[in-house]
Amino acid sequence: MGIEDTPHSGERPTREISVTVNGEAVTREVEPRLKLSDFLRNECDLHGVRVGCEHGVCGACTVSLDGETVKSCLLYAVQAEDLAVETVEGLAEDGRLHSVQEAFHEEHALQCGFCTSGFVMATKSLLEENPDPDREAIEEGLADNICRCTGYQNIYRAVDRAADKLAADLEPARDDGEEGA
Amino acid sequence: MSESEPQAGQEAGGELEGRSFTGQSVRRFEDRRILTGEAEYIHDVTPPNCLEMAIVRSVHAHAEVVDVDTSAAEDHPDCELVLTIDDLKESYNPQPCGLEGYEEWSLADGKARFVGEPIAVVVAADRYLAEDMADLVDVTYETLDPVVDGMAAREADTLVHEDAGSNVADNVRLTFGDPDGAFADADRVVEGTYEWGRVSGVPLETAGVVAQYDEDGDSFHIDCNIQLHTLVDDTVYETLGRPADRVELNVPADVGGSFGTKIAIHRYCNLASMAAEQLGRPVKFVEDRIENLQGGDMHCSERTYEMRLACDDDGTMRGLDVWFVDDFGAWPHYPVNQVLKPLSVLTNAYAIDDVAYEYDLVLTNKTAQTAYRGFGVDPHQYALEMLVDDAARELGIDPTEFRRRNLVTPDQLPYRIPSGNIYDSGDYPGAMDRMGEILDENERCEGGLLDPEVVEERREEGFYRGTQTAVLIEPGVSGSDWTDRQRTDDETLANRTREDVAELPEHLRAEVKPDGTVLAWLATDSSGQGHQTLVAQLLADELGLLPSDIEVDYLDSVEAPTEYGSAASRMAVMLSGASVGVGERLRENLAALAADHWGVEREAVDYRDGRVELGGIDDALSLADLAALDDEGRTRVSYDYEHPATDFPEFDDALTSKYPVYPTAAYAVNAPIVEVDVETGEVEVLKFYTLRDCGTMLNPMIVEGQAHGGIAQGLGAALMEEFGYDQDSGQPQAITMFDYLLPSTKNMPDIEMEHTVHPSPFTETGAKGVGEGGMIDAPAAIACSINDALEPLGVTADRLPFTAHRARKRLREAEE
Repeated sequence: MGIEDTPHSGERPTREISVTVNGEAVTREVEPRLKLSDFLRNECDLHGVRVGCEHGVCGACTVSLDGETVKSCLLYAVQAEDLAVETVEGLAEDGRLHSVQEAFHEEHALQCGFCTSGFVMATKSLLEENPDPDREAIEEGLADNICRCTGYQNIYRAVDRAADKLAADLEPARDDGEEGA
Repeated sequence: MSESEPQAGQEAGGELEGRSFTGQSVRRFEDRRILTGEAEYIHDVTPPNCLEMAIVRSVHAHAEVVDVDTSAAEDHPDCELVLTIDDLKESYNPQPCGLEGYEEWSLADGKARFVGEPIAVVVAADRYLAEDMADLVDVTYETLDPVVDGMAAREADTLVHEDAGSNVADNVRLTFGDPDGAFADADRVVEGTYEWGRVSGVPLETAGVVAQYDEDGDSFHIDCNIQLHTLVDDTVYETLGRPADRVELNVPADVGGSFGTKIAIHRYCNLASMAAEQLGRPVKFVEDRIENLQGGDMHCSERTYEMRLACDDDGTMRGLDVWFVDDFGAWPHYPVNQVLKPLSVLTNAYAIDDVAYEYDLVLTNKTAQTAYRGFGVDPHQYALEMLVDDAARELGIDPTEFRRRNLVTPDQLPYRIPSGNIYDSGDYPGAMDRMGEILDENERCEGGLLDPEVVEERREEGFYRGTQTAVLIEPGVSGSDWTDRQRTDDETLANRTREDVAELPEHLRAEVKPDGTVLAWLATDSSGQGHQTLVAQLLADELGLLPSDIEVDYLDSVEAPTEYGSAASRMAVMLSGASVGVGERLRENLAALAADHWGVEREAVDYRDGRVELGGIDDALSLADLAALDDEGRTRVSYDYEHPATDFPEFDDALTSKYPVYPTAAYAVNAPIVEVDVETGEVEVLKFYTLRDCGTMLNPMIVEGQAHGGIAQGLGAALMEEFGYDQDSGQPQAITMFDYLLPSTKNMPDIEMEHTVHPSPFTETGAKGVGEGGMIDAPAAIACSINDALEPLGVTADRLPFTAHRARKRLREAEE
């Protein structure tokens, strides 16, 4: 929006939106031009949403929007109205890291960490769709995120490890299934 | 490759096998806060009442700034402040530059010299409004012809700085031994021209600053993600016109990558601080990505090399003549000395005694250079290895054999190269041979990527495969003294003695807390290297504690003494030395404290396993006990570890000549297996073998991570990344991440890594510097592997990045 379209202070258009963020309802009065990434960071204090390029390439701002992986810098907050957003802050339960987070730690899949929230969210989404991805599927699934530190080697290992952990979590359920133990 | 198994780490709180945490893959303390989103990077710092700044930037590469009309912005109710060059000149100073005679203000003064150069700043309640206000500032320009090409700039009539009288800001020719004699005497001279594209580190986090001014103390508190905050703070406090102790630079524990680039973000620190002072309120600025790529003072080397090798027909290298131009952009910022760092590895791993070295450091209408991982060594190694390939082919000798014949041998180590630096330890021929074995066992065999039958089949389909090994040295642990060589006149240099050498030690502090755990403070800043984990490991061993008993924090630029910091592959070595020193001091203090308490001689007590014992185990005091007893500050110590080269007279020549002294020589032999599609010109790296030696590995997991990341950046520089410029208009062509291509999962092959360990005799733990390696050694290795692949077609990768477009061009030229 150029300045010609922007009324003076106090006269800028705003709109009230309600968004479910990590399971909690958030209602705010926002400008239509407010990016979802800035809404999450500044209005919801979810700083794990990192902003690396603001043009949808680096993936540091990746979040889940109604189950779909999106780059929050490419959306306006008003576009998330009545939808559910999940960020990296929503993953750990009772202080215990999510299996994807654990795997990234254990495999040294992060260095500076600025891309990490995005990679964790993208990995979680990848494994939900494909619980046992081969290398090609991992490369494809994480191709929309950039890491400048790790050369991806340990990220590949972390995805494999996370897949194993998530599969192990499911084991008891399987044991109860039709095939029996 | 058993050694190539992934180095999955171990939890820091757990007991480890063996006595030492150092050398183990202890998992990082930094991770948890990052993984949960709790880590605080600069963009998360927002003090109460904070305003935001936006910058009006030049849209022209070269133009007189005729008028800056700020009235519309100033009249707007949302505008808190506008600053122009006139405001700056009233109250502040120019920024210190890398060479004498260049007066650079934080805003363009009369003339804009690159697209993106700041012309004015505006401040408003938030960034959205600040950008609106920036749109209201009306700048009138009178455009000038831009100087765009570095080689042409040397002779151009148009000058980037009229007062300087030339676009060549610095030129030096150095000779070592008798290069003229060697070239006259040798059987033949091979020469080549090699070009290295303009690249940079491009960390995922851009530059950022939050400045606060305290009127009572007339002082500044500046949170920012600058790198080397205790070394380059002069670029801020001198500009603000305040003494160093009133300008506090504080770097968050988490910085989203730097790779050298953030040493030169002082312009932003200055502008935000000036605005904060004028307004009496905190002012925040975080660069957006377009600002960062277009005009963020963060590009790095762009070089054209003309290099000559004198050699005999039997394959002996006799002399080397290096000449190059480095395009520094519009201002010679501090890292001008990256044209000199290649002297530390002048002849790479080859025994050549007679060398000439000359450069032209030129200025053009581009954004200025900063540092980037390798600091100018990467293009040197690339050009030298290209020349070696060309020479081997001209001599009719296999390039691997030609290299092998000229390598420095283990019995020659420590080995003094002509420019005075010393390679510490290793086995270069052994490493070349081992990589040959690895390739034979895994790839040059049936079903391997280099199975001769497969190579032939693929070639018939238009895909040319190849690989070329070479030993590539990573100079580690720079000192600081040489960095102002360019500002030192010849007479002073000629008369220097060892007493004139002034090095900066590494400062480390530690204190026992009431609960018996230890809090340590780093004087350096970090940007992903895991320094907190590393120091916890090292101090745990020194103090007989667990790494989880040790917390590591950071000092700001006023609390910390001036020191060098995290650069030049220094920290493994410098933090090792500092940790040993702090550990010794603390153990000694605690023992003395306990002896006084018991009223016995110092000799009657021992420090052991995290406590002090009296006469065997008659009595013992824990660290918590000792903290409670301490009323004289004896449980708090600091130590300053001197640069290791200062202990060794072998380095006298280089130190007194103010040449770069890097007392560790880590090295790698890489074998990237590349495949070139000769129809499209696309180069794919199918697999990347690397054999690496960095002496003792303090944390193998972190060492491998550094190598992975460096190799990825090297691959980017070799094949993808470049800040191109339109040659007519000087407009930058890579201003988004759609144009400046960073390697993604789609580009990175599997890296197969093996280590050997030749500890450094010069360092406390035998560790060598290791942070820059991959970026230094991967581009040369990929380029030479392309040479090997395209050898049948007579094409070489003589210009990086060797993009598909350039490859096609070279292939077409070869056909004609």
